[in-house]
Amino acid sequence: MEYNNDRIADYSDEETFSRGRIDIPFLLLTLLLLTIGVIMVLSASFPRAYYTAEIKTPTYYFTRQLIFALGGVGVMLIMSRFPMSLYRRFSFVILAASVILLMAVLVIGVSGGGARRWINLGFTTFQPSEIAKIGVILAFSTMICRLKGKMKTFRYGILPFAVILVVVVGLLVAEPHLSASVITILIGAALMFVGGARLIWFIGGAGGIVVIGAIVVKFFAYASSRITTWLDPFADMSGDGYQIVQSLYSIGSGGLMGLGLGQSRQKYLYLPEEHNDFIFSVVCEELGFVGALLILILFALLICRGYWLAMHCTDRYSFLVCTGISTLLAIQVIFNIAVVTNLIPCTGISLPFFSYGGTALLLQMAEMGIILSASRSIPTA
Amino acid sequence: MASYENGGKTPRTPNRMMLRRTLFLLIVCGIVAFIVLALRLYKLQVIDHDYYENLALEQQIRQTAIKADRGTIYDCNGKVLAMSADVDTIYISPAEIVMYQEDPSLIASGLSEILGLDYQKIYEKTQNTKSWYQTVAIKVDETLADQVRAFKKQYGLNGVKIEADTKRYYPYSSLAAHVIGFVGTDNSGLSGIEMKYNNELTGTTGRIVRAKNNVGTDLLFTKFEDYYDAENGNSVVLSIDSTIQYYVEKHLQQAIADYDIRNGAAAIVMDVKTGGILAMASLGSYDLNNYQKVSDAAQEKIDAAETPEQAAELLSYYQQRQWRNKALSDTYEPGSTFKIITLAMALEENVATINDHFYCGGYIEVTGDRPGQGRNCWKKTGHGDQTLTQAVQHSCNCAFITIGQRVGAETFYKYCEAFGLLTLTDNKDATPSAMTGIDLSGESGSIWWSQNVFYNPQNKTQLAAASFGQTFTITPLQLITAVSACVNGGSLMQPYLVSEIVADDGTVLSRHEPVVVRRVISEQTSAEVREILEKVVGDPVDGTGKNAYVAGYRIGGKTGTSEKVAQDVAGGAKEYIVSFIGVAPADDPQIAVLVLLDTPSNETGIYISGGQMGAPTVGHMMADILPYLGVEANYTDTEKANMDKTVPNLTGMTVEQAQAALTNAGLLSRVVGSGSTVTAQLPLQNSVVAANTQVILYADAEPSADLEQMIDLTNLTYANARDRLGYYGLFIRAEGSVTKPESQLVSAQSIPVGTEVEHGTVVYVSLTTTDSSMLGRY
Repeated sequence: MEYNNDRIADYSDEETFSRGRIDIPFLLLTLLLLTIGVIMVLSASFPRAYYTAEIKTPTYYFTRQLIFALGGVGVMLIMSRFPMSLYRRFSFVILAASVILLMAVLVIGVSGGGARRWINLGFTTFQPSEIAKIGVILAFSTMICRLKGKMKTFRYGILPFAVILVVVVGLLVAEPHLSASVITILIGAALMFVGGARLIWFIGGAGGIVVIGAIVVKFFAYASSRITTWLDPFADMSGDGYQIVQSLYSIGSGGLMGLGLGQSRQKYLYLPEEHNDFIFSVVCEELGFVGALLILILFALLICRGYWLAMHCTDRYSFLVCTGISTLLAIQVIFNIAVVTNLIPCTGISLPFFSYGGTALLLQMAEMGIILSASRSIPTA
Repeated sequence: MASYENGGKTPRTPNRMMLRRTLFLLIVCGIVAFIVLALRLYKLQVIDHDYYENLALEQQIRQTAIKADRGTIYDCNGKVLAMSADVDTIYISPAEIVMYQEDPSLIASGLSEILGLDYQKIYEKTQNTKSWYQTVAIKVDETLADQVRAFKKQYGLNGVKIEADTKRYYPYSSLAAHVIGFVGTDNSGLSGIEMKYNNELTGTTGRIVRAKNNVGTDLLFTKFEDYYDAENGNSVVLSIDSTIQYYVEKHLQQAIADYDIRNGAAAIVMDVKTGGILAMASLGSYDLNNYQKVSDAAQEKIDAAETPEQAAELLSYYQQRQWRNKALSDTYEPGSTFKIITLAMALEENVATINDHFYCGGYIEVTGDRPGQGRNCWKKTGHGDQTLTQAVQHSCNCAFITIGQRVGAETFYKYCEAFGLLTLTDNKDATPSAMTGIDLSGESGSIWWSQNVFYNPQNKTQLAAASFGQTFTITPLQLITAVSACVNGGSLMQPYLVSEIVADDGTVLSRHEPVVVRRVISEQTSAEVREILEKVVGDPVDGTGKNAYVAGYRIGGKTGTSEKVAQDVAGGAKEYIVSFIGVAPADDPQIAVLVLLDTPSNETGIYISGGQMGAPTVGHMMADILPYLGVEANYTDTEKANMDKTVPNLTGMTVEQAQAALTNAGLLSRVVGSGSTVTAQLPLQNSVVAANTQVILYADAEPSADLEQMIDLTNLTYANARDRLGYYGLFIRAEGSVTKPESQLVSAQSIPVGTEVEHGTVVYVSLTTTDSSMLGRY
């Protein structure tokens, strides 16, 4: 491989903010998805905004999302300037902070939908679970780097990770926040997997999760009703099945070419969460299969690029962080679309870059910034 | 890569296992999962697109119907029998009342005041706050709807709504009710032409299709609206002539009153050449504008019911009864009117000729009768020797049994089939039946003996009874259709009611051309039947139908009296259906008139028979219809002398002049006062009174202002009644024809006995010819 002297010089000065160039394809894919996402927030949210008596301004959600998107781009660029060593240094600090926030949310959190998931910052609210996810990624990456060859043992390769996961997931379950718990477990597992833990543990762990899941479904009414709804949402169209049925109506009525941007009818108060978790249904309705497929491809490209960057990272920590963030992004996208298309039982997962939500978007952009930061160390071919 | 491995600062690069596992994640999370998602989207968006789109549209689309105007029903002269007028439906939207924070009590009190409804009921409706549509009042006239509009505007009420609708109006109320029929609240026909031609009349409802949001209002910014024009219904022109219908109903109503008919009456007037129905009535009738309402007598019985269930049952019973079109829904034994058919087939088959002689000893037996248990003629003493014409004039049962036996059972049925009275099938055990297939719903089929029973060579009693119209039942419509064929030259015409269907813009979409179902008898036979039938009515001595005679016109006809067998079997008092079928003019018939009176009461004192009740009724109808149709009257001198006269203006003349004028007019005179100039007269100028009425001439005198009590005229001769009334300064005129003022008896009078009337009043009377030798059930 060749690289120019400048890059070597940059790299040698690790503490400076500028090293190699950030990965342009990744940056462009991110900005493209963000742009489409913000436009879709405008389209999806204006009826809700208009018909909500306290708001009445159609552009209410859009303006806020746009501000956060612009801020997010700024955050991403700033984050891409911090060296990876900085993240590594603060890995546990961030994890610890997120654990504290997760505990705090149980006390001072804002309730909604039977759960305490949000902390009110006055001008906006945010979910500590979002920080916990990145905290787990950073901390696990650091741990795997330190453990090096000991990953294959249970004592080092499993136990410390499991303890962290139990603490974090335990707090998430207490909110309760099922989807965040599952995502946290999955990204933790993904990092342990990549980090070199023995496969047998994953098989065991998966088995254990299946058993626990079965027990939960069997003995907890709310979980089993979600399964029932998932299997036949039309059985209770006006009750539990309403949301998913409305989502299927949206997606289905989009057809091949869609009703056209802004032309969704389902967003007119039929489809709940149309600018949040179910924004992709509106995308499908308005842009059709062709538009939705295009966005899927953009997401897939971004994710693959993320993994590709990870695999080309020259240090193990950057590699692990990029893998973790890419996996996190992938899981969020896959889960969100799987939910709105009723492939998996309904659970609240937002779609990165699309779903309305300021702090979540800022964090996503920050995560992209971290990958971009890592990408600076990659020599371009 | 190795270059990054050196130097303590640089962590180790990922090892191969890590890269492999990452590649695995990349494939799973970055490719496989997305292929799965893409396939899922393809399934939902492309394969199942229609399914979800339809479901989605079902909830997203609001259709506003644009009512199509229902077509008009006209009579043959373009008079409107049924039309639609704009009305409104007033409804409230409680959900919007809540949404716009309007005052439910204000709305309830305002609407209750304007519409005259109960405040509480409307208020309760406003409390269904999830509802968007609560009907307050339907079919509200424009004037009231305008008041509601003003009220809505005054307070800016969003929750009060007005929706256009139409209401059916029947300008002639009950006229031809059973033909026209009525519509339900949804403007869809429930009976009669309204039902049969509902599809033509209805038109196509237009609609506005609009997307709505989940709270029911229009979408913001998104344009989605489709407009489908309403197509107004076609109009229907009937063969019914409302004038003839009016005459028929008037006289039928009179007959019901005069003869105290207990079970309703029906009448049909048919254009014998085309099969067009000129009038069809079934009484007691009902007001089409208020079709649910029953007669006062029936309502009294309903009100007297003990339980609400009984009341509801009674109401339903009386409604069904008043809605039933007797003319084609009820079958009956036609009795002697059917002899026309037997006559026609015998003449056509040449088994009887017009000059054949038949002997009636008052009793006859046929094959299958037990000895001594044959049949009596209605005249037990017998008619003696008679020609075929006389046999028909006499309505002799014995002669017709003989004729029937000559025709033979199978030929008899063959002709009945040709006349459209039954349909023969290969199943000889089945009871044959048939309908005319007229374009009106509710038609019943005839009921006959099975071929095996009827054709039995060992038992010809069924044939014997059928020969004079008994032991089978047909509808009045079938009879008049068959009789029309007998007199119109021999062609069975398809009866019909709708002559034209006209589009909203006036284009004639279809026109009914007369349909000859088949030729049944020859022109020659038909002429003979006409000739004989005219003698039944026109012969003042032998004709059993002479009460149908109308001076100046050639009318043919036949009486009928049939015992209601079911009633007889049940052991009750004998009940009869009396009927008469007339055709005119007899030499070239235009119309046939059938009147059927079901169960006259025994209490009127009038002999119950078709000749005494049916014939005069038909005569009265003919007397109105024939001049209306422009049939020219040719009076004999006697007829001219006996005809009712019009009183000329005599006031101002000298007494002598006045007397001369009266003599000229066929009237007599009586002078009151001693002056020489007539200063007043009774009856007044242009009054129509009986011939030879004494007109009172006041010479320098004034008629008394005293009132007189109407006297009982029934069973007085017309001349006698005229003179008796003249004594009181009252006058008489006849409904129908005066042929023999000295022998025709008054059977009914227009002013009830005991009513106080002024001098000069003219009372209308019905006349019958009563001749004790003519009293019989024929």
